[in-house]
Amino acid sequence: MYRYDTIDKEFLADRAAEFRGQVTRRLTGEITEDQFKPLRLMNGLYLQLHAYMLRIAIPYGSLNPTQLRKLAWIARTYDKGYGHFTTRTNLQFHWIKLADAPDILDHLASVDMHAIQTSGNCIRNTTADPWAGATPEEIDDPRVWSEAIRQWSSLHPEFSFLPRKFKIAITASAKDRTAARVHDIGLAIKRNRQGAMGFEVMVGGGLGATPYVGPTIREFLPAARLVSYLEAILRVYNRLGRRDNRTKARIKILVASLGAEEFGRQVEAEWEAMGPGSDLPDTELARIRAAFAPTAFETLPARSAAFEAAKGSDPAFARFVRNNVKPHKIPGYGIVEVSLKAIGETPGDATAEQMEVIADLGERYGQDDIRVTHEQNLVLPHVKLDDLPTVHAALAAAGLATPNINLISDIIACPGLDYCALANARAIPVAQHIAERFRDQDRAELIGELKIKISGCINACGHHHVGHIGILGVDKKGEEFYQLTLGGSGAEDASVGKVLGPALPANRVAEAIDTMVEVYLAQRQDGERFLDTLRRTGAAPFKEAVYADVH
Amino acid sequence: MRALTANRLADGEVVFWNHGRWVERFAEAQLFGDGDGAAAEAAEGHAKTETTLVVEPYLIDLIESGEVWAPLSYRERLRALGPTNHHHHGKQAEGGAIVEALQHASGAARSKGRVDLIKRK
Repeated sequence: MYRYDTIDKEFLADRAAEFRGQVTRRLTGEITEDQFKPLRLMNGLYLQLHAYMLRIAIPYGSLNPTQLRKLAWIARTYDKGYGHFTTRTNLQFHWIKLADAPDILDHLASVDMHAIQTSGNCIRNTTADPWAGATPEEIDDPRVWSEAIRQWSSLHPEFSFLPRKFKIAITASAKDRTAARVHDIGLAIKRNRQGAMGFEVMVGGGLGATPYVGPTIREFLPAARLVSYLEAILRVYNRLGRRDNRTKARIKILVASLGAEEFGRQVEAEWEAMGPGSDLPDTELARIRAAFAPTAFETLPARSAAFEAAKGSDPAFARFVRNNVKPHKIPGYGIVEVSLKAIGETPGDATAEQMEVIADLGERYGQDDIRVTHEQNLVLPHVKLDDLPTVHAALAAAGLATPNINLISDIIACPGLDYCALANARAIPVAQHIAERFRDQDRAELIGELKIKISGCINACGHHHVGHIGILGVDKKGEEFYQLTLGGSGAEDASVGKVLGPALPANRVAEAIDTMVEVYLAQRQDGERFLDTLRRTGAAPFKEAVYADVH
Repeated sequence: MRALTANRLADGEVVFWNHGRWVERFAEAQLFGDGDGAAAEAAEGHAKTETTLVVEPYLIDLIESGEVWAPLSYRERLRALGPTNHHHHGKQAEGGAIVEALQHASGAARSKGRVDLIKRK
């Protein structure tokens, strides 16, 4: 894991001290709310419905146990004992007091954490494959490149006041676990025919009111040229992006209006004019790469007797393995997905005690490595198969062994109207109702992969556009209604879902999902996921079933 | 009927106006009747000068719910109660007849607080 150096640490301490002064000046009236608001947002502090919310950066979703324990301690000391992991792989605390925020930033800085670039029109936290350094599918470790982007983009003066916020994702294998194509820039690590490593560069994806799947503007960018190419893209955006209309200010609107070809041409022209001067020197890249060198994996047999025995004797463990444990690149190890979607609980929430359990497991059994996924779950990427029964038992005791990764109850939900000042409708209770309805684990496994994503407003923090079934909360004269979309995907087969029909009242949503699941089960052919069946049949049979009683 | 609400600057707590001071419980909020329009607007105007106490004060419409008045907008009822996923968090934790009445109120209207927020963005 990358460790901050003296300069980084001094910078974080200075930044926290600066914010302490800003908070003091606000509380004493030396500066107005209008003057203070952009300053607090630069430190991830929002004012929401019930309190302030502090959004803490978890760079490329990577944490060590010390950091997670600190987050648990903050949850217990300054919040109500829990935190909410987001689709940007950050962590939000929803009950923060303004007067406490400077102290919290000091505590975060003590473990190399902060809330910088979690808000504002800057380059935000990069999303990376949460299985980085663990999956056999990986072409290169995306954390190396994400860390390079973090260092290049942090407080970059040229890109601190972009037309709008800017999000980058890096996927490192054919299977995309980052929703790269719906980021402002999606990077897919690839090898060309000569075996050289580089990136496919996709630009102009995004969700919100005008969702787009980002087109590819360069099929293969040599890896060493990444930073200069990103800089060229940002320069074109900074120059031509709309600043007159906030709703048209994202790069997706620019790319769509110019066309991908013309946008790409302008980037290439800028890039050529820039030359390689701003690319990372090989020595610096090597320094960053060394920070992610794998810790010593043991040489183990691929088959673990303890693991196999537990699978044979404990059906709950076997189910957990089927759904939550993924193949590791090293024989005798597994990738463990820790679901934060216990049935009936709030998606993405973890209590302080749960954070401490995961920190302990990461330390004892997981090489000090913990990841956050954009689907609001956690990952222990390096667990020995021999240790898995013990890890599973500890997770189960803490309510963290729900065996539902990628299943119907593994639902993304934004905080919605329960917390968010911008929301139209609640998202959390809708997720809870659906999860309860599909509580039967046998049925959930029978249904298979089905991604439901819920947003409480059109800003789409809950990624509803790319849900196999998306649910958008809308405000009908002050009442909560929910619009369903079908056929979205945030994976390598990215697509934007289409609206199924008129919005439904809250008490009909779970029932409508159930109706569509029954249509799918009746129509599916061998091996088809819900999404595959839907793409084959079209939405008509689903629409007909959901709205049958309306006609 | 209307009430005046804001978030307290120091901790973000939802507060309500009551004759020159800010209180945390909706049950203690000063209610402005239909004939008190000028007083309500004067209170809002004054609240906007209390910039070291509160953030973004605004008037909310109320509706009769049983024997009490409740915020008309669902968003405002949530602010007066707390999140629905944690019933022991927020003002609702204290319980009581007013909290219960707010939980069962059924009015609906767009929240002026949200509309103002979107305009400011």
